[in-house]
Amino acid sequence: MKISKDSREFLENLRLYLFSSGKNGKEIEEIIGELEDHLFEAEKNGKNVEDIIGKTPKEYMEQIANEMSIDIKGLLKYIPIIVIGAFSYILLGDAIRGELEYSVFEMVGYPFIFLFSLLLTSVLFKYVASNKISKIKEWFMFGVMGSTPLVLFIALIFLDRFYHTPAIQLGVVGKVIAIILPILVFVGIAIWSKTWVSIVLPIILFFPEFILDRTDLVESTKLTVSGIIVPVCFVAYALIVMKIEKNKEKKLTEQ
Amino acid sequence: MSSSQILKGILEGCLLSIISKGETYGYEMMEKLNSYGFSMVSEGSIYPLLLRMKKEGLVTTSQKELPSGGPKRKYYSLTDKGRDELSEFKERWSDIANSVNKLLGEEG
Repeated sequence: MKISKDSREFLENLRLYLFSSGKNGKEIEEIIGELEDHLFEAEKNGKNVEDIIGKTPKEYMEQIANEMSIDIKGLLKYIPIIVIGAFSYILLGDAIRGELEYSVFEMVGYPFIFLFSLLLTSVLFKYVASNKISKIKEWFMFGVMGSTPLVLFIALIFLDRFYHTPAIQLGVVGKVIAIILPILVFVGIAIWSKTWVSIVLPIILFFPEFILDRTDLVESTKLTVSGIIVPVCFVAYALIVMKIEKNKEKKLTEQ
Repeated sequence: MSSSQILKGILEGCLLSIISKGETYGYEMMEKLNSYGFSMVSEGSIYPLLLRMKKEGLVTTSQKELPSGGPKRKYYSLTDKGRDELSEFKERWSDIANSVNKLLGEEG
């Protein structure tokens, strides 16, 4: 269906808003499809998106969101997977570097940072989706969103050095588990989500480091090489995925 | 009760009545409302209402392919509960309308 850019943007923002509010994905697509149908018909008759929603986008989005229940079952499915995935990533990274020691501080801090970041992301997404803000402000928001967990992690590491709390060190069996378990999780997520992301991403991020650590290169050379390889692989992978998605879309529209 | 809430209740009753005349979709409902002079409601405001009516079990929906091909369109039809609600609304409305008309008639 061909609708105007303004209408398309409104629908995309509504989708983001409802998604960040924890609504059911299928129900979201249903209401989006219905509104798209309406906007298409309305635009044929010379009306625009502002005529349709009547109020500010934010008010209208709130109204829609209020009539949709929160998809607890869906959230219970996604949040643990995100958290488990992130932990597997940390665990595997540490296992490869051989730094398998965790203080109580870290064990409490990591989950806290994750949940806090998820919450922050949801709040900021909703704000960006429902308010007309400048591109600069939007990028600033996304910057805050992306850097908050990083800043919190650094703070955690410093606090951890400052205040010593009891630590747990994993033995040999622990180390083997710390490598096998994350790999199983990544494969599991890949099968569940039917995408390769959860397998390809850890390979891109860890494999160069893993190989370089086994060479005789100087530390600074290692850093430079992995500093080049990782982003290059990352961009290459993103481009390939985009191309595949575009082809899929083409096929869909041709049908 | 604010005026918008009163309007919502009335609008819900009108939507029930429109749907009771046969399966229909959002844009068509809006056109019918407009043809009866409902210009005070913004077009989009029927969708939050339709969502609620579906949640309350007054209507059911089905996705139907358009004859022209293209994406599916969502059609609404009334449930038994919706029909009961409509007849209740009709009674409530005629009571209110009678009273208001009587009162305003005496005034003039």
